[in-house]
Parts: sequence; structure tokens; C-alpha cells
Amino acid sequence: MKRFTYLSCSLAAGILVAAMTGWSMAAGNFIVPVIAIPLGAIVILACRRNVREVIVDERSKKVRSQAALRTLEVAVIAGAIAAIILYSFLISDSLAPHVTGMVYTGENGSHSMIISIYKPGSPETPENLIRSTTIRDIDAMNEFEAMEYCQYRNDAFRENERRGIIGMTVGGSIVALLAIFGVFYLYYDRKY
Amino acid sequence: MKNRIRVLRAEREMTQEQLAELVGVTRNTIISIEKDKYCPSLKLGYRIASLFGVGIDDVFTYEPEKDGPSPDNDE
Repeated sequence: MKRFTYLSCSLAAGILVAAMTGWSMAAGNFIVPVIAIPLGAIVILACRRNVREVIVDERSKKVRSQAALRTLEVAVIAGAIAAIILYSFLISDSLAPHVTGMVYTGENGSHSMIISIYKPGSPETPENLIRSTTIRDIDAMNEFEAMEYCQYRNDAFRENERRGIIGMTVGGSIVALLAIFGVFYLYYDRKY
Repeated sequence: MKNRIRVLRAEREMTQEQLAELVGVTRNTIISIEKDKYCPSLKLGYRIASLFGVGIDDVFTYEPEKDGPSPDNDE
């Protein structure tokens, strides 16, 4: 078998296994992946054994290892920057939406409140307004209206919280990458 | 690191593909070694020299002014 045929077979087997696994897991069938994944691995290994040409040699290994190392370095640096930027949205007041409240007294003597949310770091002008709501007669606010107000606040800050969660996820991924790299480093350090 | 692989190969009328197959590497590796872009391992160096029936010094020449003090400067 030639190298191109082996790569084609491996690609086809990989796509087939991925499609079968994805489809079956989405349908709630967990037996198909248990059969498909080992079967795919066996097919790829069997194809590899029949390849007459040299697929991997010392140069290709060196190239791959250096590429992997560079990828790791870039991923760690870029990930750390992204994590800090995204997490700062969650903890920084200047990057969070600005909330203002104003109470006014109506003609009948009842108190109403206007709550406005403005874009982060922008002056309180109508063009920077994200959302605004008015609670009429706050003295008579019932439980439903209070809950509605809470929901309003949650919706307003959801975007910021999402960024914070992404930041924490990226940060966690970097820690995991570093841990995995450390384990492999110790393993190869002892082996060679 | 300079090498005489191309000359030794030509003397024996051997193609890059044949040499690659005999020493167990890809043709791209032979091309890179011949162009002085890739410095082979000691093991591969000896294998190539042994195949041509010469000493490793007859195949590879170390050039300190070009190669520098570090043995691994071929990134």
C-alpha cells in the first residue's frame, strides 16, 4: 500500500467513525461508539502495517515535535492574554455596563423609578443607552414586579458574565495544558 | 555541517529514493540533508556512511565557523 492510499483510508475511516459516533451519541445510543472507535483504530493500524514506504523518520519526528512545542508556547501566551482580557470584563467596574437609577414623584404622589443601563465607559447619553425600564409606583411593588426587575438586571449583565466564564475556561485550559505538558516532560526526561 | 552525499550517490549511480529506502528514511530527509538544511542524527550518519562503505568523516564535515558552538542550531 502506498502512503497516499494509507492517508486516504485513514481519513475516510476517521470521518466515518466521527460521523457514526456523533450521530449515535446525539440519538442517545452509546453502544455504537464503543464498537466504532476500536474498529476504526484497527482499520487504521492494519492499513499502516501494509504501507511499504517510510511514513515517519527522525526528521519528520523532529519537525512535528518542534511544531507541537511552538504550538504549545503560542497557545499558552495567546490563551493567557485572552483569559486576562475576558476575565477583566467580569471584575473591572470600568468595563462593566453602567447602571443609573432615578426616582420621581408622579402627580398622584406615587414614586416611580427609571433604571437605565449604559455602555461601559461611556457618558450617560441616549446613544449609549443599552436598555431602560420604568417601575411605576415602587411603594406598591409586588413580588412579581420585583422578580421582573431582578430578571432585567440578570439579562443586562449576562453578556459580561459570559465573557468572564469564557475567560475562566481559557485560563483553566491553560492550566490543564501546562499540567499535561509537565507530565510528558517528566516522562521523556526519564526515558531519554 | 557539509556533506558529500550527492557526490557519493552519483559515483554509485544511486537515486535519492533508493538511498532513502536503504537507510530507512523518506526522500525528503535525503533532500534536506543534501541541501545542508537538516543535520542527521549520529545513527543515521553512520548508516549512510556504512552504506557507501566509507568513514563518517568522508561523508560529513563539521564546520565550526558555520555550525557554531551549539550542536543543535538547526531549528
